[in-house]
Amino acid sequence: MPRFLLPLPSGYDSGVTEPSSWLLALAGAGTGIVGSLLGIGGGAFLVPLLTLYFGIPIRTAIAASLISVIATASASATVNLDRGLVNLRLGLVLEVATSVGGLAGGVLASQLSQPQLFMAFALTLAVIGLLVAVRSKRRNVIADLAVDPGRLGGRLLEGGKEYVYRVRRLPVAFGASLLAGALSGLLGVGGGIIKVPVLNTFCGIPIRVAGATSALMIGVTAAASAFIYYARGDVVLPLAASVALGALPASLLGARLSDRVQIRYLKILMALLLLGVSLRMAGEVL
Amino acid sequence: MTGGPLLLNRVIEAVLTAGVLVSGALMLAGLALERTPLLQWGIVVLMLTPVARVVVVTLGLALERDWAFALISLWILGVLASSMYVAAHVARPRSPAVAPRHA
Repeated sequence: MPRFLLPLPSGYDSGVTEPSSWLLALAGAGTGIVGSLLGIGGGAFLVPLLTLYFGIPIRTAIAASLISVIATASASATVNLDRGLVNLRLGLVLEVATSVGGLAGGVLASQLSQPQLFMAFALTLAVIGLLVAVRSKRRNVIADLAVDPGRLGGRLLEGGKEYVYRVRRLPVAFGASLLAGALSGLLGVGGGIIKVPVLNTFCGIPIRVAGATSALMIGVTAAASAFIYYARGDVVLPLAASVALGALPASLLGARLSDRVQIRYLKILMALLLLGVSLRMAGEVL
Repeated sequence: MTGGPLLLNRVIEAVLTAGVLVSGALMLAGLALERTPLLQWGIVVLMLTPVARVVVVTLGLALERDWAFALISLWILGVLASSMYVAAHVARPRSPAVAPRHA
């Protein structure tokens, strides 16, 4: 156990006023279920909820979100691995980018002021919301089983049929992962909200594989910056624990439900929510 | 080689499940008993769960003699180790967002 993990960061005697654990757990559960349904960490909704509704300082909210994102990613990965949805090798290659991005974002976050963090968050959500709203809906999988999926591609069983997919435009996936990692470290979002649409739309990866693989990556991405937030004392223990405890069971449920929900409607809802939240966050500092 | 990747998936699943269960139990106990050390351990175990997962993946790929991907996995482990190194060397507490502990 590294030494820095041992001294206490902020515990029950921290100066942050804490709302009820039950409400925080509920917030964690709500974002955890949305996060695991869509293969994103859920931080894009959790950070605004904690800052705007609970009045928690944004840096504390980002730290709590990172912890909760690790919980969501780890819990939903257990379900996704079982179903054979995770493409482990593709995940590894892209984790090279997300972890470096996460580390850089975590270091950079300390250089930004609270209003700057708010504005960065609002801008990011607006761009992603637009991306989700306009992205194409075409299918990427090939039904012809004779096609070689290559080293990074794979096969997927869906509705009793087997599909093959190849990974296209790997540099695009890599760039998106680097950006997703940096935003994760900077703003406490998992980054799945960027990776999943990009992997699906530009790289030929079936949406459910993209979601499951992204969810697995998010744990490592968030951990790469969580240690830094923790050492700085930004992780307020009871707050982060309450949110994570709500997120854990909700993520297991969300991951199990994910094959029964019409993802398209969820996406439209997600785009609207992102744009709305973005405006509210920008309104805080303008 | 056949069955190898599937076995690896099973082991990863076990590691993640164990991490989530142990940290969940510690955090729950910490909140119920208002004991800061329990909360702290719960969160530390949670943060270390993805790290443990990468360790297992690296070993699994090495056992499968998939050296290229084992090396990639080792690189990720290196990034996580650098993150801990940076964390161990930052001045604390850094941010004015959290009031000083002994205020």
